[in-house]
Amino acid sequence: MRLTGLMMGAAFAACAAVPALAQDADRDLRIVVAEEVDLLEPCMATQSTIGAVLLQNISETLTYLDVRGESELTPKLAESWTQNDDGSWRFNLRQGVTFSDGSAFDAADVKHSFDRMMSDQIVCEAKRYFGGMEVQATVVDDHTIDFTADPAQPIMPLLLSLMAIVPSETPIEFTREPVGTGPYVLSDWTPGQQIVLSARDDYWGDAPAVTSATWLFRSDPAVRAAMIQTGEADIAPSIAVLDATNPETDFSYLDSETIYILLDDAVAPTNDVRVRQAMNMAIDREAFIGTLLPQDALLATSLFPPSTLGWNPDVAVTPYDPEGAIALLEDARADGVAVDTQMTLLARTANFPNIVEVMEALQQMLQEVGLTVDLRFLEVAEYQRIFKKPFPTEMGSVLFTAMHDNSKGDPSFTMFFKYASEGPQSGTDDPKVDQLIEDASAATDDDRARLWSELQAYLHDELYADVPLFHTVGYARVAPQIDWRPTIATTSMLPLGEIGFK
Amino acid sequence: MSSFIRKRAFASLISLIGLVVIVFFLSRLTGDPTDLFLPIEAPEEMRQQFRELNGLNDPLLVQFWNYLGDIVRLDFGVSLRRAQPAIDVVLPAFLWTLQLAAITMALVTGAAIVVGSLAAFRVGGIFDRIASLTSLIGASAPDFWVAIVAIVVFAVGLGWLPTSGTGTVWHWILPVGVLFIRPFGLIVQVVRGSMISALSSGYVKTARAKGVKSRAIIFVHALRNAMLPVITVIGDQAAALLNGAVIVETIFGFPGVGKLMIDSVLQRDFNVVLATIMITALAIFIMNLLIDLTYALLDPRIRY
Repeated sequence: MRLTGLMMGAAFAACAAVPALAQDADRDLRIVVAEEVDLLEPCMATQSTIGAVLLQNISETLTYLDVRGESELTPKLAESWTQNDDGSWRFNLRQGVTFSDGSAFDAADVKHSFDRMMSDQIVCEAKRYFGGMEVQATVVDDHTIDFTADPAQPIMPLLLSLMAIVPSETPIEFTREPVGTGPYVLSDWTPGQQIVLSARDDYWGDAPAVTSATWLFRSDPAVRAAMIQTGEADIAPSIAVLDATNPETDFSYLDSETIYILLDDAVAPTNDVRVRQAMNMAIDREAFIGTLLPQDALLATSLFPPSTLGWNPDVAVTPYDPEGAIALLEDARADGVAVDTQMTLLARTANFPNIVEVMEALQQMLQEVGLTVDLRFLEVAEYQRIFKKPFPTEMGSVLFTAMHDNSKGDPSFTMFFKYASEGPQSGTDDPKVDQLIEDASAATDDDRARLWSELQAYLHDELYADVPLFHTVGYARVAPQIDWRPTIATTSMLPLGEIGFK
Repeated sequence: MSSFIRKRAFASLISLIGLVVIVFFLSRLTGDPTDLFLPIEAPEEMRQQFRELNGLNDPLLVQFWNYLGDIVRLDFGVSLRRAQPAIDVVLPAFLWTLQLAAITMALVTGAAIVVGSLAAFRVGGIFDRIASLTSLIGASAPDFWVAIVAIVVFAVGLGWLPTSGTGTVWHWILPVGVLFIRPFGLIVQVVRGSMISALSSGYVKTARAKGVKSRAIIFVHALRNAMLPVITVIGDQAAALLNGAVIVETIFGFPGVGKLMIDSVLQRDFNVVLATIMITALAIFIMNLLIDLTYALLDPRIRY
């Protein structure tokens, strides 16, 4: 309403006076999102709805993955970091930083944040990134802290970009009153209605342009889009592709999700590489783009998006070749592979827009080359329950159609889970893959990138380990007076400091 | 009268206990909240820890026994998702729904009685035809469609009202308006039917013969007798609204109990599910009791 008023005012008022008026009035920002935020716990900030409000606004991290620049790790509460000779990491902390409760930030706070996150009295989501390793945080002095991991973690600085820092006074149990070092404090939280953050005047960094930000919750995408139009909100990070019709306000962005079909190499017929290759060739990926999926979606050759370290540009999308697929399957059948074994294509209800049509098309394409494929949809809890090893056997060979999110910039957040023989959602059991994952996880810089690239090519071109399909896109609507564009991290983080006014 | 209320309260208590038992076990049948609370990549030890901390590893009967023990002390447990007592989540949402239902039903009842009675007075007349047509359209219009169209027209197109949310009186107009349409259509039809039979009864003919004015005949003599079936339908519709107007709450971002109930079922937040169901059930029991008492008030032949 206010925006409409402003724009009408602009129509009547003298042109010169208007920009100043707009700048003064609109320091408040309203963001409308789909899902209500039901918890504002810093150690749960890796959950996207929570992180979008908390991360870099109320709570800050030692390091920050800047996806707007070169996808580089940049200093936040740590000014610098170095790897010690024993493989551990030393972080030099920023001085003169205070929490919003007035207490000073020091190494004890970092240690407490880590110990709290790992505590067995609460279940923090961020803890999962530190699974499979023993990590110790050791305070060296007030402004220096060491993190020692076994096995050594070359990406420790990146992992710590996922840990929100809380003051050492924070009790272990979940809090609903987050305190952090960020540029904002929580000033109102009316469950079901709104969350309001206000700028602090004693923030250590540059003062942000947005003085207060209100999060509103509307499940219906058409309503979110309409709210920008009527001026009731300024940013809607996610609207439906059908509503994204105005190039002035609507922007697409890769949302770091990848759709793929998991193939289990332990059961017939997907235990044969020719069958897996044929399945990759049977799918006409191009046909989905601009029809069932948005025009801006990308064809995938990996489960992580192209901005990730080591993403291999030389790996090409498997071309659509149904005749080739039929020939491969014939070949396999002649060698005694049980090609006609019943398979079940499994999907999660409402996992992404148009999923029913997408799944039916996939089923059709697989059937056209002669495979026997059933299609089943499962409710989310049931799907999550069975989507881990040991995979169910009562439905024949199961083809899980899933979405995987990796906006963290490194394939390690994908590779172990999805491809290692020990990986909980891996259908792959291959010694070379295991070795490459181990080597790449321990390597740094160029070596690391090279090893991940090699692994990606091996999985895609030789093993045909799974069927990568699409990197999906989201659409955001941004009011014309707001200077902000969505990024690949937008679904999990919305740093208000990056938002300006025109 | 008071023994009637006592009996009804006792019967309601039995139903409530039955409801708790059914909902407790049925909701547990729908699966483990761990898989929803933790991402699919979370290691098994984290899952175990989550189950242990939230008592999900205990045998079901032990969980139920603990729950009953807490309920007796009016402790509805803690919400898994929100880390706060379930009752603190449910009560504010329920109060929003209660207001929404009360305002809507008051408007519906008033409007439907007037329109239905007038329509019945001259059956087949122009007013009757218009009223019947519009009420039938209203009773059959899908509210998700009406809600979106209302937003497009009144908020986006004309700019008269906010699209959604809460805060001012203006925010209530669209949700109440959309909720109004269906029960209004239905109740107009019931009032009309009931009034037609009342108006053709002997006492109305006598009143007419005496020369009583039309308005008095409709609203004093016939209406009171025609109200009993109408009250039943009003009660029915009000109960549906108290359960939460899920679609309207979802579209308008209205923080009511219906959307909360659906969300917590989907998230397997069992304590919140149980608390919403108990609170709304309690409200519906109270409302049914009030309706029974209204019968007695309207019809002196009914005695408890």
